[in-house]
Formats: sequence, structure tokens, C-alpha cells
Amino acid sequence: MARVYVHPLPVRIWHWTNAFGFVIMILTGFQIRYVGLIELMPFRTAVLLHNWIGFVLIGNFFIWLLFYLFSDKIKVYHPDLSPTRHFLASIRQMRFYGYGIFKGEPNPHHISAYKKFNAMQSMAYQVMMLLLVPLQFYTGLLLWDVEHFSGMIDALGGVRVVDTAHVLIFIFFVGFIFIHPYLASLGHTRTAHFKAMITGYEDVEEKHENG
Amino acid sequence: MQTGCDQAVCGIIGTTTEARFVVGWGKLETMSTYMREHFETLLAALVVFVFGLAGFAAHAAEGTASKADQQCLVCHSNKGLEKKLPNGETLSLHIDEPAFARSAHNVLGCSVCHGDVTLENHPPLKKQIKSVRDNSLAMAAVCRNCHANVFERYEAGMHAALLRAGNPAAPFCTDCHNPHAAVAKAAFDLASGAPCSNCHSSIFTAYSDSVHGRARGKGRIEAPVCSTCHGAHDVTAASGGDHLKNACFGCHAGALSAHQKWLPNAQRHLDTISCAACHTPGAKRKVDLRLYDTAAQKGLTEKQGVPQFDLKARAVDTEDKGLSSGELQRLLQEFNHGGNDGKTILRGRLEVDGAVEIHQLADKSRAAGQCESCHRAGSAPFQRVTISIADQSGRRIRYDAHQEVLTSAISVDSIRGFYVIGGTRIELLDVLVLLALMAGIGGPIAHLTLSWWFRRNAKRIGGRDDS
Repeated sequence: MARVYVHPLPVRIWHWTNAFGFVIMILTGFQIRYVGLIELMPFRTAVLLHNWIGFVLIGNFFIWLLFYLFSDKIKVYHPDLSPTRHFLASIRQMRFYGYGIFKGEPNPHHISAYKKFNAMQSMAYQVMMLLLVPLQFYTGLLLWDVEHFSGMIDALGGVRVVDTAHVLIFIFFVGFIFIHPYLASLGHTRTAHFKAMITGYEDVEEKHENG
Repeated sequence: MQTGCDQAVCGIIGTTTEARFVVGWGKLETMSTYMREHFETLLAALVVFVFGLAGFAAHAAEGTASKADQQCLVCHSNKGLEKKLPNGETLSLHIDEPAFARSAHNVLGCSVCHGDVTLENHPPLKKQIKSVRDNSLAMAAVCRNCHANVFERYEAGMHAALLRAGNPAAPFCTDCHNPHAAVAKAAFDLASGAPCSNCHSSIFTAYSDSVHGRARGKGRIEAPVCSTCHGAHDVTAASGGDHLKNACFGCHAGALSAHQKWLPNAQRHLDTISCAACHTPGAKRKVDLRLYDTAAQKGLTEKQGVPQFDLKARAVDTEDKGLSSGELQRLLQEFNHGGNDGKTILRGRLEVDGAVEIHQLADKSRAAGQCESCHRAGSAPFQRVTISIADQSGRRIRYDAHQEVLTSAISVDSIRGFYVIGGTRIELLDVLVLLALMAGIGGPIAHLTLSWWFRRNAKRIGGRDDS
């Protein structure tokens, strides 16, 4: 096994802040939406915590954005600029997780410094980081001060519409918060990817010239 | 039947008035007709002013009626003086002399208001009086001569609107003011709630027991009375528009900043929830969805004449059990016909359900401050929903809707402007939340189970047992 530095420090800071932040956002989100069914904390505490953590996550988002915009690591999101190849690689990756992994087939994706995401991850993370997360921040910001942003809220169709969009994305992240760590446990050991996100180094199989 | 009046005495009213009006007439004969007409009016006013003010003011100041008026009072101060009307009612003709002498109208004297009474027609009064109310309505025109500005305000109010609509209980001048004992505004007996309590006694009782009523009872004159919130002549329904909210903030100027200290989105809460909804402990609350014109930036008002709202609501309410979410959407479409597309929306407001309860305002220490009382699904305030429009006087005309309109996915568009997080959450989204949880938890469990099964059967299906 060789060690490859795939997660630079800013990315790790962003990732773990985001991870814990999203867990708190989901828990407080559940508390806000399901008063009576869930009694983790008072409604008002949940709202205040949701608001404050929301702002922390918005700030944290810019750590991620600025790091990738001003470093060559942005290549990790698009190592292959051919959509066809990218699509086919995604299908291969899905087949691996859905079938090959059970039979002990090797992971079709090989991690390197500029190819840390498999095609499926790369596509999913771009949709999340460039569409869903900003949209969630935006709708959350509007709901944080409904009166101040009333013009924008009305233009979008009203507070009920904005909240529905916010909840739909919340629903996606509810699913994601379980699926993501599970998929992260599918490395060569259960904890390999978790350790990598702490140390920055992934263990990768060395290529043998003679196969 | 009129009793007890001496014709010679009462006739003086007429002759005295006529005598005043002919002073100096001869000198004006050469002037044009147009000018004479104007001078006649001017002279009449002058005579009233000179003889009225100069002559009677001294009596008014002394708290006694003038000599001329005393001549009328010879008969009209008799307590039994009354007239039977054809409809069976009794019209009292009695004037309480001391009260009249103290009243603001003493300075005018009898003849200013009763100018139609002359020696020839009084008594017996020849004019036909159908009812006491009819007589009072006719006399209201006399009030207008001096109180034109008050009339203007009255006609903009809901009492006048009720009167125009033919409501037989709609109050006008004499229902609130005794013209023969008219007192200055400051002299009103507010403790009894009169004159409002004459008709609204249950509301006044509730008010008397409220934080405002008790403060007033303790002599705190800054505490509001009926007219503070509803106006005195331009009486409006406090539930219409921002009228009441402005009345509350008129005294409680620091209310917004006080709420902002503990309440997230305080401004929106204050805009959407009536003050009374939180400050009347124990009162039943409801959601009123108000038709709102986004183009005109104001609440929709019912058209004069044929009432459109009620007709349209009844037309879409097929089962006559209140509007369902689908029916509510159709009603909204009705209001958005003919170039009005999307202009009419519904704006929600949380308010107290009941005119009496709304007046039971309590001390702020007893106000609802628990977020959970509204942000819990199925909370009490969301058990009743009405759709409403304002009538010409500002009163709300309401039509019941099902409680499910607040939580239906269909309502995302129709009641887009009203949403209480948690409290009116859309049920369909709850199903999606459950599915996400099932997929998030069930997906990995299923995947792990498959992995385990494949490992157990690796040799049989040709896989690796270390997969």
C-alpha cells in the first residue's frame, strides 16, 4: 500500500465542520418541524441553533469554494472532461456498489491525488455543492428573516413555497447523512476513508508493472 | 296624543324666530335677488350668533335655560309629556330642564334645532311621525347642520354602513347622544361604557375585566376605551386592516423591540398574529385567510350591491360543509378571472375567534409565550379556518374552510403567504421525510445484508469469501 495525500487541510476542516454542522442542522430541523413528536430541545433553542449553525455553514462553504477556485485541486471534480466517459464510469461504479462489491470484484476507481472521487461521487458532489447546498442556504436565509426578505419570498411564490423547497432539500440530506458514511465505510477497510479524511492520506494499492 | 301644552306659550318659539329673521329686511329690498338670498342666510346666522350667543350664553354660563327656552319648558319639563305614535310606540316629549341647562346645546336654544315648530303647527304637532326611530333619523339632518365634519366621519364608519344596509339596529346620532343633555367629550361617563355598552354590553363586560378596563377603573386615563381602538364616529371593526395594530402600537410603542428580544422573526409574528391572539389567555383562536389584491397592495373589499364573495364561496362549496383545499383553489381562481391572473391571493392571520373574547386582554405576564403552542402540528389555533373579505365598512365577511387546507399539498399555491413552521406543515412532505429515513437507514442495512449473504454463499455463486 502506498500513501497518497488527497485531502488538503482546508478541505478536511471544511469537511468535518460541514459534517457536524449538517448533523446539527438535521437534528434541529427535525425538532423544528416535529414539535411534540421529538423532544430533543425546546423549539426556540432549536430555531436559534439552526440559525447560528446555518451561518457557520454558509461561511464554511466559502472555505471550500475559495480553496477549489484558487488551487489546482479543482481538477478532482472533473478529472475527465468527456461526459460520455464520465457517464459510463458512473454506471461502472454503480454496478460495483450494487453487485460487484458483493462478489469481491476490485473497485473500478483508483484513487490518486487528482482523482480522489469516483465518477459517481464527482457528479453527486457537484450537484450538491453547486446546486443543493447553495439553494438550501438561500432558502434558509430567506426563512431566517421573513420580513426583511419578504419581497424576494413573494417573488418566489410565498413563504410556503420557499419552506417547501427548503424541506425538500432537507429530505435529500436526511437520506444523504446515512448513505454517505456508509459508502465511506466501503474502502479497503471499514475505517480507511474515515482515517484519510482525518490525516489527509489515502492508502492506495501500488501499481505493479508486471500486473 | 299630545298633552299639557299651552298653545299661546309654545307658539312664541315660532313668532320669536320669525321676528329675528325680518330685522332690517326693508333696507335690503333694492339689492339683487341673488344677494338677498345670501344676506338672508347671513342674517339668520348673525341673528343666531348675536341673539343666541350673546343672549343665551349668559344663561348657559349660569346653568339655566334662556327665557325663550323656559317658555317651551313650561310644558316640556313635565315628565309625563309624551306622544303616542301610530305604530304603538311612545315618543317622549319631556326635557330634563337642569340637564338641558347644563348641556352644550343650551347655548343654542330650542329654536335652532326645532325651527320647523311654529305657532300655527304647534300644538298639536301636525307632522306625521311613523316611529321614534323615524323621528330621530329625520332630526339627524339637523345635527348635520352644525356637525358636518362629524357626519363625514360617521358616514365612513361601520355604523353608517349598517344603516345604509337597512339594519334596524344601526345606531345614529341620538342613539349615542341625548341632544337635550349633550355633554362635551371629556364629560362622558366612560366607566359605564355608555353609549357603546347600550348595544355591546357583553363586550364591555369583557373589556371591564381586561387589563385595560381595570387600569381605567383605577383612574389611569391613558388606558384605552372603546373609541381608542374603534373610533368614536368613524367606527370601524378593529379586525379590519392595520387599524387595531396601530391602536395597540399607539400606546405600546416599544412592543416590537420588546418582542425582538426573545421572538425570532418578531416583525412577521406581529404582522401575522393579532395582538389579542397571544394576549387573551384561554381565548379560542383561528386562522383567517384574507383575500388580498397584490396589484393594489391591499385587502380585497366586497363590491357594493350584489355580494360576490358569499355567492362564489357557496358555488364552489359543493357539499355545503366549508371549503376543502381543492374548493379553496377554485374560489381563488374565481377571483383571478378576467385579467386578474394571480393578483388575488390569500394572506393568513391568526386571531381570536369571538368578538367578546378579543376584549379580554390580560397583563403581558399571562400572554402566550410558548412557541410550541402554535408550532406543533394540529395546535388549537389551526382547528378553525375561515376565508374572508372586507365589506364596505371594513367588517370581515367570513366563510368556513376545512382545517386540512392548512396542511394540504394543494394549498402550497393557494395559501402561499401563510405558513407556520411545524404547525401547518404539509403532510405529503412528512411522507417523503419518512421515505428518506427508510432509504437512508434501510439502504445500508440492505446492502450489509446482501454482503453478508454473498459472503456466506460465496463459494456457491462463484464470489470471493473476503469480499
